[in-house]
This record gives sequence, C-alpha cells and structure tokens, in this order.
Amino acid sequence: MTKDYEHTEESKSTYTPVILAAGIALVLFGLVIFLPLAVAGAIIVGAALFKLFKDGAEEKYAEFKESLEEKWPLDFLSKEKLGIWVFLVSEILIFGSLIVAYAFVRLSSNSWPVATQTHNVILGMSNTIILLTSSLAMVFGLYSIRGGNIKGLRIGLVSTFGLGATFLAIKLGYEWPQYYRNGFTISSGLPGSTYFLLTGLHAAHVGAGLVAVGYLLFRSFHGGFTSTKHSAVENIGLYWHFVDIVWMFLFPLFYLI
Amino acid sequence: MYVGIWLGLVVATVAEVVTRSLAGAASLLALIILLISSGKAITIAMYYQHLRYEDKRLAILPIAAVVGVIFLAVAAAMTMSMGM
Repeated sequence: MTKDYEHTEESKSTYTPVILAAGIALVLFGLVIFLPLAVAGAIIVGAALFKLFKDGAEEKYAEFKESLEEKWPLDFLSKEKLGIWVFLVSEILIFGSLIVAYAFVRLSSNSWPVATQTHNVILGMSNTIILLTSSLAMVFGLYSIRGGNIKGLRIGLVSTFGLGATFLAIKLGYEWPQYYRNGFTISSGLPGSTYFLLTGLHAAHVGAGLVAVGYLLFRSFHGGFTSTKHSAVENIGLYWHFVDIVWMFLFPLFYLI
Repeated sequence: MYVGIWLGLVVATVAEVVTRSLAGAASLLALIILLISSGKAITIAMYYQHLRYEDKRLAILPIAAVVGVIFLAVAAAMTMSMGM
C-alpha cells in the first residue's frame, strides 16, 4: 500500500453508509418491539441521507485514487458507479429470488386463476409503455447534459418523474382498489399474496426512484450539473432502468401467463 | 437510435399481449411471451444502461447475480421434481 493511497483513503472514506444501515436496522427493530426506537432510527436515517445527498452534490466520491492493485479487476469504474452496480446486483438477487418463489408456488398449486380474468391486461400494457417511455426520457436527459444542455436535462427529468408518478397513480390509485373491490386481496390466497408482494415491492422501488429523480431535478435547478459533472444522473438512471427491467418480467408473469 | 429502441420495445410489448390471445398450447405461448420479455430486458440493459458500450468486465456483476438466480431456480425445480 503506497503512502499516496493511505492519504486518499483518509480523505475519500465515509462511515455514512454504515450509519444509514444502523438507522434502518433501528427502525425495523423499533417497529417490532418499541416504537420510539423506530422514530430515533428514522432520525438517524434522515441525517445519514442528508449527508449522502450533500456528498453526492459535491461529487465527493465520483473519482477514485487508489493504486492499481486496489482497483483491479474493476479499475475502469468510478467508486460511485461500482457502488450502484453492486447495489443492482443485490436488487437482481432480491427480485430474482421472489420471482423464483412465485414460480415455485404457482407451479406447485393445483389451481391458479387465469391471468386475464383477475388482471386488467390493458392497464398492465399501458403501465409497461409508460415505464418504457420514462426510461427513454431519462436517456434523453443524460444525453442532454452530456452535451451541456441543462434545459434538455430538466425536460428529461420532469418527463421521467411525471411518467413514474403516472405509473404509481394507475397502480395504487386505480388498479389495486379495483382488485380489492373484486375480492382479490393480499389475504385472499396465494395468487393475491404473490401479486401484491411483488408488485408492491416494485411500486416501492418506483417510489424510491421518484425521490431520487426529484433530487436530480432539485440539483438541476440549482446549478448542480454540467457537461463534465453529471455522474449522479447516470447512476440514478441505471437504477431507474433496472426498475423498468423488473417490470418487463412482472407484467407477463401476472397479466399474461 | 434510442427512439427506435423504444419503438421496438413498445411493439414487443404489444406482441406479448397479442401472443396471449393466440390459439395454441398454453405452455408454448408462455415460453414465447417469456422469451420476448427476456429480449426486452436484455435490450434495456444493453442500450439504456449502456452495457453494450461499457468495458466487457462490467458484465461480471449482473451475470454473477443472474447465475445466482438460475441456481435458485434449478434448486426449486429439483425440489418440485422430488414432490416436496
């Protein structure tokens, strides 16, 4: 380990993710045993997120300075990009495991309702096209800022946010209540449980994506991005496209097959 | 190019819905629909997530995760075949 590396390690390291994880653990623990603990956890999570956003705004961890042996084999990636890809790997495992569990339950069951009888295919298809369009808007925003076009970035982000919010409004505001009125609920049996678990988890991810896109929008209106400083747009874009990819599987599994 | 890709993805989505309404063995139609979905997911990863233009070594990460999921699927299939 070189002296240069030691210096870089000191100035580029942060305990914030550890504090964030501890805060989330405290929230979950508190929800189970003692509610004030959950409130304390939520305050810690809020403070850690604020610190992360502040560091992100300064692009503090966008560049790596480690020596080659520390970087190999992913020496071509910045710390931020490596971080988002490792996070996406964990997300692939979460959704992949749940989809495999769904397939297992469904194939093991003696009977399963026909998808077109329980689900609204047109609504599902519309939501798919809405998400696909939001991904296109995100790409448009990224390419705009790469060319130094801040107005194009804002248009892309506003469109992405609007389309994501529309997706959630259709799902949570119209589709789910309709299913509940028809007696298809999370407690009505395995078809309902698996549907609401998987689409609910996906909707939570869309919600988190909206918060992240909102953050990008805020920064875009406060001079936060230039043609050379926009790694946050790229990284949050990677997450948004991942959410899109997950829906590409959930739509056929629940609405068509 | 990205608008063309988006158009292709929308057409593929409509193709999935049309496939659902075709006459034929349900398992065959399900296989066709899932193949179209996988193609859409790969297209998004390659073009919108820019995996096509990144260093090939980056693919190690998502492929490792997908292999993990395949391992789970094989384990689930084996469990089912044993009647558990």
